[in-house]
Amino acid sequence: MTVRTDALPTQEMTINMGPQHPSTHGVLRVILTTDGEVVTRAVPDVGYLHRGLEKIGERVTYAQFMPFTDRLDYLAAMNCNCAWAWAVEKLAKIEVPERAEYLRVIVCELNRISSHLIAFGSYTADMGAFTPFLYAIRERERVNDLFEMLCGNRLTYNYARVGGVSGDAPPGFLEKTKEFLDYFEPKLDEYNNLISYNKIFVHRLANVAVIPAEEAVAYGLTGPNLRGSGVPFDLRKDEPYSVYPKFDFKVCVGTGERGTPGDCFDRYMVRINEMRESVRIVRQAVARIPDGPVMAKVPRLFKPPAGEAYFRSECPRGETGIYLISDGSVNPFRLKIRTGSFVAMNIFEKVTRGLMIADIVAVIGSLDIILPEIDR
Amino acid sequence: MGLKEYMNDIVEAVTTTAKGMRITARYGVDPKEEVTLQYPEERWEIPAGYRGFLNNDVKTCTACTMCVKVCPVDCISLESVRGADKKMVLASYDINIGRCMYCGLCVEVCPPKSLKHTSGYEMASVARGELILHFIAEDAAEIKARVARQVAEAAVKAEAAKAADLSSDLSSEAARAAKEEAAKGEPKK
Amino acid sequence: MEALARSLMNAVPLLAGVPLWAVTLLLIVAAAVVILVFALTFEGVGSLVLRKVAGDIQARIGPNRVGPNGILQFLADGVKLVLKEDIIPANADRLLFKLAPYFVFVGSFAAFVVVPFGVGLIAADLNIGIYYVMAVTSLVVVGVLLAGWASNNKWALLGGMRAAAQIVSYEIPVGMALIPAVLVAGSLSLQDIVRSQGGLLGIFGWNLFHNPFSFFSFFLYFTAAQAETNQTPFDLPEAESELVSGYNVEYSGIRFGLFFLAEFGDMFIVAALATACFLGGWNVPFFHAATLPWIWGNLLSLGVFLAKAFTMVLIMMWVRWTLPRLRVDQLMRMAWKYLVPLTFINLLGVSLWLLVFKGKGIPAMIASLFG
Ligand code: SF4
Ligand code: SF4
Repeated sequence: MTVRTDALPTQEMTINMGPQHPSTHGVLRVILTTDGEVVTRAVPDVGYLHRGLEKIGERVTYAQFMPFTDRLDYLAAMNCNCAWAWAVEKLAKIEVPERAEYLRVIVCELNRISSHLIAFGSYTADMGAFTPFLYAIRERERVNDLFEMLCGNRLTYNYARVGGVSGDAPPGFLEKTKEFLDYFEPKLDEYNNLISYNKIFVHRLANVAVIPAEEAVAYGLTGPNLRGSGVPFDLRKDEPYSVYPKFDFKVCVGTGERGTPGDCFDRYMVRINEMRESVRIVRQAVARIPDGPVMAKVPRLFKPPAGEAYFRSECPRGETGIYLISDGSVNPFRLKIRTGSFVAMNIFEKVTRGLMIADIVAVIGSLDIILPEIDR
Repeated sequence: MGLKEYMNDIVEAVTTTAKGMRITARYGVDPKEEVTLQYPEERWEIPAGYRGFLNNDVKTCTACTMCVKVCPVDCISLESVRGADKKMVLASYDINIGRCMYCGLCVEVCPPKSLKHTSGYEMASVARGELILHFIAEDAAEIKARVARQVAEAAVKAEAAKAADLSSDLSSEAARAAKEEAAKGEPKK
Repeated sequence: MEALARSLMNAVPLLAGVPLWAVTLLLIVAAAVVILVFALTFEGVGSLVLRKVAGDIQARIGPNRVGPNGILQFLADGVKLVLKEDIIPANADRLLFKLAPYFVFVGSFAAFVVVPFGVGLIAADLNIGIYYVMAVTSLVVVGVLLAGWASNNKWALLGGMRAAAQIVSYEIPVGMALIPAVLVAGSLSLQDIVRSQGGLLGIFGWNLFHNPFSFFSFFLYFTAAQAETNQTPFDLPEAESELVSGYNVEYSGIRFGLFFLAEFGDMFIVAALATACFLGGWNVPFFHAATLPWIWGNLLSLGVFLAKAFTMVLIMMWVRWTLPRLRVDQLMRMAWKYLVPLTFINLLGVSLWLLVFKGKGIPAMIASLFG
């Protein structure tokens, strides 16, 4: 959509959106330069939530860093937990019992569902429909109940351990998981009927902030943001880790079903469809989970050999890559975390040029950023 | 925009709105769909492995400091002194639960399993400094002084015994007096 | 009012010595107080119902702490709003900032005057009732714009600008969509419009069923009026998630309360106009309320009117909790590309219908077929 602004000479206005703003998903600050409602420039200003996680990681032991990964992306703490565990295991070449891997996949996919639920819910709330948000929260509570049963906490799980997971599934957990999946799957259709295909909603998202496939790749987008542009890249398939190759699932991509491929609606729809795929994965994992131990033998004073490792895994907000250098001591020598949201922020300024203020909110929501991941 | 598209737009807007409104109406009239938990009155069932406030059973705690070392945020502080029987005696064991992140690492490493999560999760205070759990009510300095006294007495006793051993030729009076004094000191503690 | 005062003076001998103007003034004040009380009560209860409905729809419970089942919540809210500190931002334009809420409140409250609550229950049966409502509710836009401007806040300014554009644009479809009712009744007075929908055809006497065009008119009016009064999905001037809170972002305490009350007042006005113009107003189906004794006839018709109006309010809330918000350009497109042409076509259709069928509606024609 083009808005003609050359007819009337007008003055530009600088507006400070955030760091306290209902729709910036945390403490993101966007400096908007607007011409009336039209945004001529939107510069994200990040860093309000910087806690120096990477530096902390260099001062604590490998095991001690696990609870900090909960804070890397608090909406998908399980995924971050497992990513850290996998990275350290890659560094130290630890074999993990299969049951532990299955449990990790189950919790990762459940967490992907709950994280996408928040993305979906807060997105609709940003668009002005508050009701789906509460439905999403309700479903997420169920996932949290499952996690609480499994590991004792509802938000910061600290479930994975280097070499396995902190505890086996308590009796009844797998049945409850199945129950949840049966309950949850029809809800997705309900969401689609309620809001996804609502005319206003479609109009708000379709053709807004189109990211062409080449551009998405060039900017290093990952996860649903990349797949929304039609690039079928999913680390679970393309660089399989853990037990993912054993499961049958589809990589969801944006098809431009209501507009141009790579618009906000595609990114939104990819998330909705991914929840369905996650349900499929969890179903298969629950059905096939083997018996056995859930923890490999890891010495209490864990010292990985000197060396380095980069491990990347598919988190709900894109690729979470963990780069570790070990000097053979109990602490990592260097830790660098690459997160999907941070990279997604790069393209923000480019795609928001010429949009309207309301679209800025739509773009932030469609990129599904989370601030702790950006600022770390 | 052709007329057909124009009409389509209108029809689609009306039908999708109606669809959405049917769903919200169903939720609106169905009382079974209410999921709110009226918190202080109603509570959810806390699962067995819940990671709530920490509790240390100070009687079984061996003051091994494993928990202190493993805690990533340094919120456990403990003071201990070596007792008369060479075992460590806890002088104080505090957990700053305002800082604790309930990660459970300390519970996992505790060798005698004296440190445990409880199912508690409610606590409020007006100042952060008040959010500290003291597991030993007695003042740390007092305990330390007491243990030091004990140690000293034990040392005196040992000394006396040694002295008695070495100089059995000395008057047995003195040795008995020393022993009596040591015995008197004992029940005071 | 003067006529009423005169008849009152005739009826009550005690008043015989009092000058006419005094009685009239007294009556005016009394009517204003009654209406104000009604408006405030409705607005309070409306806010409670809104939250309850939101709770039900969103699988929650809604307010339930103050009073049994939370029914006193609105009192608590009111007390809170009154007691809160009234903050005026340092760089605000103080006079305009203080003035703005009153414009908004007066704009919405003044419209209550011509709402036909019952057979004889109308504060002022103006012969230009509809016109008056349209005119006086336009005052709201002045207030909103002032609020946005005087707050010295960019979000508020954007909200005020949006409101101005939106309300002015939507005034046209709202007016156009109401005209069919005026045409059918042949009068601008709301009482006349309601009376024209009486008769013994039951609900088929309503303008809604008069002819296909008036049927559509009702929906067009309802949509456009929601936009004109900034209700979701057209609440762009407030747009919580975009403009934080829009034009009233800097307001607190009772001044915010006035905005808040005005919002509910607008809601009721829309519902009341829709009821009066299309849903038969206070007409009781198959029954002439006017034939009853004054008291009973009025009470009955008041009940019917409120029932209809509240149903409309409920529907508005239901819509509000279902739909997302439009974008500002889409809002304008909707007004100028969809609503305005459609309402014009409708108006044309109704006029032609009235011309061709000599003012008879479909139900009346069917009824005449059967004698
Ligand atoms: S639960 Fe974690 S943060 Fe709390 S005291 Fe134990 S180790 Fe420290
Ligand atoms: S690890 Fe257990 S036994 Fe050791 S000091 Fe801590 S609480 Fe006491």
